[in-house]
Amino acid sequence: MMRLDQLPNQRADERVVLFLRRHWFALLSIVTAFTLLTSVPLLLGWYFWNVVEAWLQHDVIGPVIVIVGSIYFLSVWLFAFLEFTDYYLDTWIITNERIINIEQQGLFNRTASELDLAAVQDATAEIRGIWQTLFTYGNVFVQTGAEKSRFHFKNIDNPEHVKEVVNALVEEDKRRLSALGAGARGKMKTVIK
Amino acid sequence: MFDLPSFNIPIYVFLFVYGAYMLFYVLYALFNIYHLVRYGVYGFGLYLIVTIFTGGTIILVSGSVFMLMEYDWTYPISSGTAVDFYNEDLFPKL
Repeated sequence: MMRLDQLPNQRADERVVLFLRRHWFALLSIVTAFTLLTSVPLLLGWYFWNVVEAWLQHDVIGPVIVIVGSIYFLSVWLFAFLEFTDYYLDTWIITNERIINIEQQGLFNRTASELDLAAVQDATAEIRGIWQTLFTYGNVFVQTGAEKSRFHFKNIDNPEHVKEVVNALVEEDKRRLSALGAGARGKMKTVIK
Repeated sequence: MFDLPSFNIPIYVFLFVYGAYMLFYVLYALFNIYHLVRYGVYGFGLYLIVTIFTGGTIILVSGSVFMLMEYDWTYPISSGTAVDFYNEDLFPKL
């Protein structure tokens, strides 16, 4: 279990500034799919209740219907939970020293990477389309010196604010390192893959 | 003319299919809960999520078992009675 006050490899004086997950709109799509997949068969069963009742009372068709129904509803429940887990475990943690990116891809793939703020060159916020504009969510790309390495905060709430926070923290980190005389020694590394 | 081969299968064979599915469900659910507990952020929300999922599963499985207990699982499916499944009571014209 991860604790925000005890991050992996936590440094002295390191504190969490932002803890991010995807916007609740992502959660809404899971809830909508779950509601549709459960309510449609239930409504059909209620509408054709005379037929369904006759089926349920049949010695062979009845048990088959109950087993198939049970498997269906359990599968929908499990599917919704798996999707929720994927949402819940995708997190971005911004501290005053680094950015930690944890991505869950399905049930069997998990990537955790971290990036020193000193390695950040710029942060870009992106809001595209009507839904992202209406609900103020979108993407933030954090670019490092290396050509291909950049962090992608997917569908997070208020990307403009996050971009500003990242930029401010990068400036603060650079000032701190300059004061220490350490220079920019940032690096990006993958911890678990 | 030819005779259809006669067969006589008790309906409890469906329970084997259901049992195999439940085994898959339990394994997958436990693996998912392990992921949440292992990698989730410590807090009340995490316990709430696991409790809701487990509670939902218990309700669904108990409801299914309650309904399945109503049936006589020794009832046979036989070639002689298979044609009886199709009648106007079970499949009325829409």
